Amino acid sequence: MNIRTETEGNQLNKALKRALTFGAATLAVVATAASLAGCAKESTPTTGEQSITIYSGRSEDLIAPLLEQFTEETGIAVEVRYAGSAELAAQILEEGENAKADVFFSQDAGALGAIAEAGVFKTLNTDITDLVDAKYRSVDNTWVGVSGRSRVMSYNPELIAEADLPKSVFDLADPSWKGKVGIAPSNASFQAFVTAMRVLKGEDAAKQWLTAMKQNAVLFEKNGQILEAVEAGKISVGLINHYYWFELANEIGEANLKSKIAWFEAGDVGNLVNVAGVGVLSDKPEAQTFAKWLLGTSAQTFFVEKTAEYSLTGLPATGWLPQLNEIASPAIDLSALAPLAQTLDLIREAGLTD
Amino acid sequence: MAVVAAFASLLPLGYLLVRLSEFGLDRVVTQVLRPRSFELLANSVGLTIAVAVSAVAVGSFQAWLTVRTSIRGRSLFAISAALPLAVPSYVSAYAFSALNPDFKGFFAAWLVLTIGTAPYVYLSVSAALVRSDAATEEVARSLGYGRWSVFRKVTWPNVRRAAISSAMLSALYTLSDFGAVSILGFDTFTRAIYNAYRSSFDRSAAASLAVILVILTLMLLYAEPALRGKIVPTDARVRKTSLVSLGWFGPVATSLAGIWALVSIALPAASLIRWNLIGLSKADGGELLRALINSIGFAVGGGFITALFGLAVSILTVRYHSRLTALLDKAVWLSHAIPGIVVALALVFLSNRVIPEIYQTSALVLIAYLILFLPNAVAAMQTPMSQAPRSLEEVSASLGSKRLQTLRRVIIPIAGPGILAGGALVSLSVLKELPATLMLRETGVETLATRLWNETSVGAFSAAAPYALLLVLLAGIPAWLLNRQVRVNLNSQLDLDRRMERE
Repeated sequence: MNIRTETEGNQLNKALKRALTFGAATLAVVATAASLAGCAKESTPTTGEQSITIYSGRSEDLIAPLLEQFTEETGIAVEVRYAGSAELAAQILEEGENAKADVFFSQDAGALGAIAEAGVFKTLNTDITDLVDAKYRSVDNTWVGVSGRSRVMSYNPELIAEADLPKSVFDLADPSWKGKVGIAPSNASFQAFVTAMRVLKGEDAAKQWLTAMKQNAVLFEKNGQILEAVEAGKISVGLINHYYWFELANEIGEANLKSKIAWFEAGDVGNLVNVAGVGVLSDKPEAQTFAKWLLGTSAQTFFVEKTAEYSLTGLPATGWLPQLNEIASPAIDLSALAPLAQTLDLIREAGLTD
Repeated sequence: MAVVAAFASLLPLGYLLVRLSEFGLDRVVTQVLRPRSFELLANSVGLTIAVAVSAVAVGSFQAWLTVRTSIRGRSLFAISAALPLAVPSYVSAYAFSALNPDFKGFFAAWLVLTIGTAPYVYLSVSAALVRSDAATEEVARSLGYGRWSVFRKVTWPNVRRAAISSAMLSALYTLSDFGAVSILGFDTFTRAIYNAYRSSFDRSAAASLAVILVILTLMLLYAEPALRGKIVPTDARVRKTSLVSLGWFGPVATSLAGIWALVSIALPAASLIRWNLIGLSKADGGELLRALINSIGFAVGGGFITALFGLAVSILTVRYHSRLTALLDKAVWLSHAIPGIVVALALVFLSNRVIPEIYQTSALVLIAYLILFLPNAVAAMQTPMSQAPRSLEEVSASLGSKRLQTLRRVIIPIAGPGILAGGALVSLSVLKELPATLMLRETGVETLATRLWNETSVGAFSAAAPYALLLVLLAGIPAWLLNRQVRVNLNSQLDLDRRMERE
């Protein structure tokens, strides 16, 4: 027994010493780590004292090179915070009076609409809003669209002739389309399109269409997968955003693409044009400068060339793409396009999502 | 300190009340009483119960197998039981669905979350087993009890408290998880909360849903003491360890543990490695290093601070029983089931109105970690502390030591391993945390987890792979240390036993 008590005594002493050393070591590490944590961030090249903070719901991959160009051209340094558009919108609303961001650059119009409704945006100068068609900005000039994307149908000409394509997205509800059309019901742009359908055609029409699609449609997670299935000839038509086609064309070469894209008849809700856009949160003049710069030639060219999105200031569209004003998109207030809970309920009740 | 900790834990609740009061009772009621809410609630509750029960079963079995039996390769099994802790559940969900795209739904979510949370049970039950006296088990066996009866009547009461408090961790983790269930396509209450933000930008609707999670937590907390059982004090002087030889059950147990290790480690690891082979070339070294340093900084800082507050709470709740300390104990847990994004928004709201200076600084991030992970620290510390014999303190007091001296010279050395374990557990969770870090960090400060999010959100899975791998390797360090601590104690006891026998 003696041995044991002694050993345990030693162990206690050792444990104590160890605990104390560990404590001291941790403190030291925390101190260094804290200072390092302060240092270990990428610094933006500063050429002047002006700087703005941007909350970006668009991805770093795409936006970082664009912002470098902005700093180069204007001398205004930029700090960016990347996160989901919806999360950033919630964060901006909770910040209240002490907004950290000078500018909110959103992936979709719904998030901008939510902030505008709360009255947090500053009014944009008219030399900014004048650049963009009233269709693609808010009524009260609190936000403005920067680039546009259109809903289209991608189709495989080996399976369906251009002349046989449906005139309206509602035609796809016909039983003859069973198993031939692809949709991505959990995708945000599909949901915005369904919201537009609810707003323009009413709840019942949207419900009927969704129920028919439960019968007819092949379901996918993402737009890209729909396009792959059209390419592979598994379905003849798929509902996607136009730029996915160009993404694939860039990757494998336009000549190697089997599929084509087409639009429904004029004014059809299936041709909905949605935007990514920007709003200003502070009184800094540089924030307005940034919003204006996004509508200038360098940024607009960037969107047209890099993402095949539509310029909203009238730059010609990429490649053979029809011009924005040639697409007869439905008339709708884009702020209302947040895929509201009712839209999600409707899609789920139709059995299209879990 | 404990009061500060409890106060911090209650902050998110205060925020929820502010949001609800803006919303108006009738709208809260209509929001919550939608039929869909009940479906989701049933999904969440079902998943939570299933995960907690299976985590206790798997974790306790692994603990018993590696601590109490002479099975071959038990140290290997021990490591493989602890390691899944290093893999964030969203990474493991992604790894599984990369292997098989049809891996979806309830079963998938159950499996991934059980894998992710069984180590909590394994670690704390192992530690409790090492501390408890195997001699009583031997006595029971010599009196003719079968192996199962011995486990039920002698072993289980000893480890029950540890098992139940880690089951709480597992349950609350499941309730608040968003990453895994969304990747695996299983609709839970937490997914509905995220959807309320994402699709209708409705903070008040999200808040009314989050309140339901708090009520669920309250119910769990109410049930917990009954499940926990009585504290079985251990006598520090007499401890004996004995390893049971399993006989025919040996091969069965080996294959069970082996299959579980295969599913919980080998499969996701293989998927992760394959993912890396595809994408290794795309990593930017400088960015990787910066993210690594920031992750380490947050993990060490968060672990240290939370362990400190956790210690204060544990000492108060274990050593000074009163109605107040009992409330304190509960308060710490209350917000643990609230999803990270709600906690983060609560801090955005409160810091901007009270101390705007700390908004978007590392200080606020550390406060968020304190709120999110205090229960992890407390759960790891309370059991060892409650098992430390009171008599030692009385002796110390009778020898004229002041309370603080007793704390420093008696309680902390005995509970030392528990305290370290608490800190390590928190560091681990900090490494894996995403929503609060993303929202509260200083603009431009990236961690491994935020970089991982950044790359995967644009579908650049190959560019994301190195961050996922590095994150798992880094989190593997505290996971490995936690396991080692248990094993070192076990081995030194086995050693001591052997020497005693020679005497």
